[in-house]
Amino acid sequence: MIDSYIWVEVKTTNNERFFLKCQEIQVFLYDVIKEKEGLKIKILEKDYKKLQKIWFIKVKKIQDLGWKAIKEKAKKYRVYLISLFIGLVFLYVISHIILSVEVIHSNQDIRFLVTNALNEKGIKKNTWKKDYQEIEKIKQEVLDMYPEDLEWLEIETKGMKYIVRVEERKIENEKNEPQACNIVATKDGIIKEMIYQSGEAVYKRNDSVKKGDILISGTIKKDEETKKMVCATGSVYAEVWYQVSASIPLTYETSERTGKVRWNIKAKNNGFHDFLFKSRLENYEEDATSLVTLFGTEFLFVKQYETTLNTLTMSESEALDKALLSVDEKISLTLDEKEEIIAKKVLKKEINNSTMNVEVFVSVLEQIGERQEFVAEE
Amino acid sequence: MHIYKTIKNFLIDQEYYIDFWQENIHIYGFKKIDALQENRAVFVLENFTLEILGNDFRVLKLTNKEILLHGNLKEMRVL
Repeated sequence: MIDSYIWVEVKTTNNERFFLKCQEIQVFLYDVIKEKEGLKIKILEKDYKKLQKIWFIKVKKIQDLGWKAIKEKAKKYRVYLISLFIGLVFLYVISHIILSVEVIHSNQDIRFLVTNALNEKGIKKNTWKKDYQEIEKIKQEVLDMYPEDLEWLEIETKGMKYIVRVEERKIENEKNEPQACNIVATKDGIIKEMIYQSGEAVYKRNDSVKKGDILISGTIKKDEETKKMVCATGSVYAEVWYQVSASIPLTYETSERTGKVRWNIKAKNNGFHDFLFKSRLENYEEDATSLVTLFGTEFLFVKQYETTLNTLTMSESEALDKALLSVDEKISLTLDEKEEIIAKKVLKKEINNSTMNVEVFVSVLEQIGERQEFVAEE
Repeated sequence: MHIYKTIKNFLIDQEYYIDFWQENIHIYGFKKIDALQENRAVFVLENFTLEILGNDFRVLKLTNKEILLHGNLKEMRVL
């Protein structure tokens, strides 16, 4: 047991007698301060009782020192100390726990493969963080498990998350280039442009072709005699036609913010979400900011802006413009960079039950050539 | 404890010593205090008795064989 010191106040009329008595009863004085009303003395706590037995002095404990003082202070500030301890434990836990594992790769199969392999090795969510050596070992083990699929793997610890970057191993397959092939038309149309690297053009610009016609032949002829069989390569752009219909309602709804804003907290987990507080707005738009993610649940701070819905009616010309725009969008979805809409013509327009129905004839510049193999004759 | 005692014996090999500096008087190794007044103090050591005279003597520290006094020392005698 560690001896604690205390400060005592001693009142006596005869200091000399007191010191001699202390010497006699073996009470050691570790600090003596003379004050107006007496002496302030630092002694061992165990000697306090000895001093109390001296009849010609008045002694009073004024302060605990050492271990006992620490105990007293700890008792006094126990709420703060317990909070600090819990806080430190919490900090330790959240800085040593992994709440999600993100595998970054464009190929879903590789992501699935790596996620499963890491899961087996203990790299998964809601687990303790692993040290550097262990992560390095797991990396090597996963690479050894799939030598044909994985080239390189990196596991980065970022906060409470593992970010796994993977490089797929690509083994180049031998190219199986067909021996002989033609470029044939996939649609009816009028040829506008022809670009070819091998083969022989059968049609020229502004020629009309039908679906299935050979556009670039893989048979190289000279004086009506077949000289060589090649695989024709190239692109053929032709004007093709579509008849597209679109329906546009003449009335539409718009929402307008009223200026009323409410705040809320949203908890989101695996596609499901719920608000912490009851929403008091009937119609609203929301603006969410992520706060924290705990054990797979994301908490978002949400600002809800109240809105009112207004019903508006379009004019006929506005509806037609919108219908044509819709047709453009429909066609454009299937076109690449070089392909484009050449012209549009409204064939039919009618209004029925507040809806405008439109039929549009569209001319499109489109690549119609498709490679087709054929067996080369001896 | 044995190591502590051995080291202490090695470092403090005198039976007593008396130091003065500024207005402090340090006496180590006394057996008994015979008097401890404001102008006079008497300490019984192993082979002699030490009397110190002065004024405003005041105890700063006191243990079983060691004392630290503060005051104006004027005279010191071996009785």
